[in-house]
Amino acid sequence: MDRVLHVTGLRKSFKGRQALSGVDLTVPRGRVFGLLGPNGAGKSTLIRILCGLLRPDAGEAYILGWRVPNARIQSQIGYMPQETALYDDLTVDQNLRFFGELYDLPRSGIRERSRELLEFVQMTDRGDQRLGTLSGGMQRRVSLAVSLLHKPRLLFLDEPTSGVDPRLRRTLWDHFARLAEEDVTVLVTTHLIEEAVRCDMLAVLSQGRLLVQGTADEIRRQTGTDDLEDAMIALQEGEAAE
Amino acid sequence: MKSLAVTKNILRRIGQDQRTLILIALIPLFFVLLYGYSFSGKPQHLRIILVNQDNGLASVRTAEVGRITLEMKIARQIIDGLDQELFDVVEIDDPDAARAQVEQGGTWAAIVFPQSFSHAVLNEALRVGGERTTTYGNRTVRLLPPTDATDGPSASLTLDDSNPMITSAILEGLKSTVERILAGQQRALSPDAVLQTRLLYGGSIRALDYTAPGIIGFAMTLITVMLTSISIVRERTAGTLTRVLVAPIRPWQVTLGYTTAFTGIALFQVGELFLVSTLLFHIRFVGSPAWVAVIIVLFTVGLQGIATLLSTVARNEFQAMQFLLFLLIPSLMVSGVFWPLEAMPPAMRPLSYASPLTYANTALRRVMLTGFGPSEIVFELSVLAGFAVIMLGLAIVSMRRQAFSA
Repeated sequence: MDRVLHVTGLRKSFKGRQALSGVDLTVPRGRVFGLLGPNGAGKSTLIRILCGLLRPDAGEAYILGWRVPNARIQSQIGYMPQETALYDDLTVDQNLRFFGELYDLPRSGIRERSRELLEFVQMTDRGDQRLGTLSGGMQRRVSLAVSLLHKPRLLFLDEPTSGVDPRLRRTLWDHFARLAEEDVTVLVTTHLIEEAVRCDMLAVLSQGRLLVQGTADEIRRQTGTDDLEDAMIALQEGEAAE
Repeated sequence: MKSLAVTKNILRRIGQDQRTLILIALIPLFFVLLYGYSFSGKPQHLRIILVNQDNGLASVRTAEVGRITLEMKIARQIIDGLDQELFDVVEIDDPDAARAQVEQGGTWAAIVFPQSFSHAVLNEALRVGGERTTTYGNRTVRLLPPTDATDGPSASLTLDDSNPMITSAILEGLKSTVERILAGQQRALSPDAVLQTRLLYGGSIRALDYTAPGIIGFAMTLITVMLTSISIVRERTAGTLTRVLVAPIRPWQVTLGYTTAFTGIALFQVGELFLVSTLLFHIRFVGSPAWVAVIIVLFTVGLQGIATLLSTVARNEFQAMQFLLFLLIPSLMVSGVFWPLEAMPPAMRPLSYASPLTYANTALRRVMLTGFGPSEIVFELSVLAGFAVIMLGLAIVSMRRQAFSA
């Protein structure tokens, strides 16, 4: 199966305001797929629908061939929310253990996997520390580790680098690239062009509509521009002209 | 198993949070101590002023030796017979000064016994009860009822009745003493002679015992709803609830996990409440602890459902607390905790019947005060069970909604 995620005609509105107005999207396997768009474009809404947290008003979404929402999907996807969304008062290990238990991982498996993941996010030996005592950047890395516990095949990252210093941002993007190499499909939202260039593929979302999708080269070619920033501006102007 | 993980996680987090832990352990203690000490007391050392002008003598007719004078000292007997704990008795000579002191708020009551008090009392007793014998000197004489009406001056009581509680305590205290002394003079004057009374519970149930079950139910409402709604709101605002619900766990499993944790905590707290109130205040508890546990479990499960619903509407912890007050205050007023439901105006009754505390209170009272078992509280138990099931169902639905609206 090469299409990990396939979405057609997805619509969602909140109290009359359209958050998504007919989105079609296809995400191939083992890539870092960027969902690019300004704040309020509908990126988070889309991710929440795909995670089974929200029901769409219309349209269909398929993940690994199952239609969303489906209980079987939940153990195949990982979700890293915008906020840290972990228990401040528990240690790093206790956080990992709890979420591991929710995924029915065996105790020994959780321990081994936790060690592996802390190494992956370069936080070995921090397992005993209470989450609340860690810096924001470290908490973000634990959050990534937690969302990877059950070896998801598709990982949703909702603005994973917002409020993160440039060095950690680079580290996180290195992690994402490595995950894609390990055949994990990564769907990441961002509103930063410099992050978009690190994605294998991109989709540009604006005001609830998907303006374009493809590789960075394809998008440049389609818009007749030389770099991605110009392409974005061209797209937005084109949209405003409509 | 996944529910168990949720339960363990909540308990672990509470266990590591010393402030919450202390709160959970201390709130019931604080509640029961405050309640027990402020409600178990009765009025004590009420200052009253007595003016005893009674010369103690009674002049009566006899069949044998004509009119004789007996030394009765009835006023003195009454004064000495007053409850020493209830009253602080001050004796003075001036009746006007005594009344003036009451009027000026310096004392609760003033009683003036007139000069011929003993005479009047004895002759009235003979008139009502008929003749009787007594020893006079070395011989037995028959005392005869008076020929004329003996409406001699009786004692006068001036009472400051601005506080109903104290008024009734004083009247009760005076009445019982006077009745006891008069019964010594004349059986026919005592109410016990005409009304045969059988008290089922030996008159041992105090107001404190009667209100304790309701207070325990109220304390459980406060603690359970507060703890549950704040925990859920906190998980939602921190985003952890979203993360939990993205995992392969169903909303009902999350709800079950929560319920198990908070029911466990509630049982611990109820145990604490009962232990302290029976040890320290000797609250009457003659029934089976097992049935108390059943009542409490059904009641708190329902309350957790309410708390979950509440946390769906509350944006933050502060709002959750505000909603909590809206729930708590009426439930204390309408559920028959202090006043019997029979004393509620009919227009208010539907509110009483809508409050789960009404049923928990009645059931707890029956088990604790009278030792009734399941067959006598089957109605209350079924209402509470229905309440628990419905609220739990709504909680699961709202948990799902929390996931979608997170």
